[in-house]
Amino acid sequence: MTTTQLGMPRVGFFTDTSVCIGCKACEVACKEWNAIPADGPLELTGESFDNTSALGANTWRHVAFIEQPAAPSAGGEHDGVRWLMSSDVCKHCTEAACLDVCPTGALFRTEFDTVVVQQDVCNGCGYCVSACPYGVIGQREDDGRVFKCTMCYDRIGVGQEPACAKACPTKSIQFGELDDLRERARNRVAELQASGLHDARLYGDSPDDGVGGNGAFFLLMDEPEAYGLPPHPVVTTRHLPQMWRHAAIAAATLLGGVVASFVGRQPARLRDR
Amino acid sequence: MVGGAATPDNDFCFDYLPRITGSHSTYETVQAQLDGVCKGYFLLGENPAVGSANTGMQRRGMAELDWLVVRDFSLIESATWWKDGPEIQTGEMRTEDIGTEVFFFPAASHTEKSGSFTNTNRLVQWHHAAVEPDGDRRSDLWFMLHLGNIIRRKLAGSTDEADRPVLDLTWDYLTEGDTAEPVAETVLAEINGWNADGELLSAYTDLKADGSTACGCWIYCGCYADGVNQTARRKAHMLQSISSQEWGWAWPANRRELYNRASADPEGKPWSERKKLVWWDEEEQKWTGDDVPDFEPTKPPSYRPDDDARGVDALSGIDPFIMQADGKGWLYVPAGLVDGPLPTHYEPQDSPFDNALYRVQRNPARQTFSRPHNRYHPSGSEDGADVFPYVLTTYRLTEHFTAGGMTRWLPYLAELQPELFCEVSPQLAAERSLRHNDWATIVTARGAIEARVMVTSRMPSLTVHGRTLHQIGMPYHWGPNGLTTGDAMNELSAVSLDPNVHIQEDKALTADIRPGRRPRGADLPAFVAEYRRRARIDEHTGTEGAMAT
Repeated sequence: MTTTQLGMPRVGFFTDTSVCIGCKACEVACKEWNAIPADGPLELTGESFDNTSALGANTWRHVAFIEQPAAPSAGGEHDGVRWLMSSDVCKHCTEAACLDVCPTGALFRTEFDTVVVQQDVCNGCGYCVSACPYGVIGQREDDGRVFKCTMCYDRIGVGQEPACAKACPTKSIQFGELDDLRERARNRVAELQASGLHDARLYGDSPDDGVGGNGAFFLLMDEPEAYGLPPHPVVTTRHLPQMWRHAAIAAATLLGGVVASFVGRQPARLRDR
Repeated sequence: MVGGAATPDNDFCFDYLPRITGSHSTYETVQAQLDGVCKGYFLLGENPAVGSANTGMQRRGMAELDWLVVRDFSLIESATWWKDGPEIQTGEMRTEDIGTEVFFFPAASHTEKSGSFTNTNRLVQWHHAAVEPDGDRRSDLWFMLHLGNIIRRKLAGSTDEADRPVLDLTWDYLTEGDTAEPVAETVLAEINGWNADGELLSAYTDLKADGSTACGCWIYCGCYADGVNQTARRKAHMLQSISSQEWGWAWPANRRELYNRASADPEGKPWSERKKLVWWDEEEQKWTGDDVPDFEPTKPPSYRPDDDARGVDALSGIDPFIMQADGKGWLYVPAGLVDGPLPTHYEPQDSPFDNALYRVQRNPARQTFSRPHNRYHPSGSEDGADVFPYVLTTYRLTEHFTAGGMTRWLPYLAELQPELFCEVSPQLAAERSLRHNDWATIVTARGAIEARVMVTSRMPSLTVHGRTLHQIGMPYHWGPNGLTTGDAMNELSAVSLDPNVHIQEDKALTADIRPGRRPRGADLPAFVAEYRRRARIDEHTGTEGAMAT
């Protein structure tokens, strides 16, 4: 079993985009429960029916609408067009770079193995924003503090499912123990593949990927890039030790050079004399 | 209901009931407003200045009223047209010329009041108030009760016979709380009805014609059987059989499936074991089952009527459709439909094509209302039809609800669908130089509006009669008020009604589209008038063969 450091089963999200109907109930439920401000400019983005565009400080669930030309045999086709809908969210990585770079300890790993920002500790440095391989975290414009999905830490702590999963009318968003979800997801992919939808695939489910697997993983109907997801995400702090080693060698070399340039030379002061 | 005043001598006050003197449906009411016949109007949770076909006609009708009462969550367009509506902007109306006295009352939402919802599948479900309404918001029940109290106080002591129906009304509803909110269940109990001893009735079959019972509406009799609010039952479906008889209550008689006798074969055995609803119990000699049988309970499948049998007795034991004269299901409909009996095809009121099936272009039984602000388009090969070459179709978005009164004021929904848009194919965009996310103006003989352009292959261009037809798709939720604002799509639609259920035709009309924003002020009606002139539209256009209204 995939357990947390406390020996509890790890929980997560399985977002099955094959049954997402783009109702955005998850976005609204998330904002309602977490009291996130509306921040839209109230202007059409022109990105199909998606006017949220991306995850950010005030958008912890984001439903993408992707219009694609489709072969008649592809799923969801209509007049040669298919409409992919997908609810994106913080991935709650096993190896979370945001956590690694946070200098204040505002970001922490919970007893459920989810990753949460403590808003009263965050100093707004923004390191985590650039550290996230998915571009999930955003800063609020007023004081620069960062906000993101908490997987409804306050709800799951009392045995409730997160607001988005609760509101999802098609069970596109499923919450539960990660092992169960992974099994369910594998079965679902097999089912879709068997019905001829060969592009169906899981994303973020494997503990062997560059972030050690996601606590929130997805069933996609196309390449990850089609959804704006990185195909091979790598925890951005993975190479930090190596980088520091290189930096240390470079520093030592530099220092050595400086020292060498002085050794064997008479101090100018003495020479002038 | 009229309680004690109803006696055999006065025919139980039957003549107190208002008579239906003609069609009083919404669009005919607007005509009556324009004609000065309808003088007052209550809008309880409706926003016709955005949501009804030809919104301009709606506003012009309201401008002829003596008084208008709007009860809603926000200052919707139907409450403010007299000071900032489109006709004020264009100068076609001036506030100081409008004689209508407009009252706005803030309304409580469904979470702030108790009451029932009745679905189109006849299921009545109770909802309990979760919170007290904020501020001055009140339920519609509260408004009607206290308005009635005020009117009755003013009429008290009147000897005018015309006031008797109001004064004789039973109007003694229990109220509760600081706001004197009526106890909604007392109203439901009155609709259910009671006998002379005040005992609640359990079924409409208990109703008597001798004045010993009273009932607010016979189809709902039984919704409060045994003194229990049957509509508030919420037994989980896992804990009961497939008909879920104990979830809410269905009119009439808690029957979940009409004509359920048809679920059994002529001998009374279920056609399908899996989907069985009712069956004939030979031993008990009656119909029984999971649902309430919609058939005479003891009429056996073997029953055959005598030749001189009348009424229900004339239906045999194998005639499940008991509301039809012959008890049979009808595919050929000899009576009842205005434009029957056989289905056929007519083109919509405004269409780019001639009717391929018939020489008759439009349904001759349709209702048209040709008025100066409700002109129709020429169709097909009629002169001027090419001025409106495209088909406009309309629909809803998930994020907004109908005319937007419940959603355009909510920040979380407003940001998800922030602007009115029109969807066009790449081909139409190229033909009319429309640019994605830029503005376009859409025009009909009724009006012109502007919307953001969404170029998408989802809105395909069609090939009809060998020629390419471009479509314009638009949601209709917007209006000038609220957090997210935009022109109302229904400025474009016309009022023309289908002959049977009198539904407006706002899913298929013709229009023109051009790039850029619409004209402002007085230039707007002039712009639309120029289109009418070019299409040579007059009061006769598109009215041939229609039912005179």
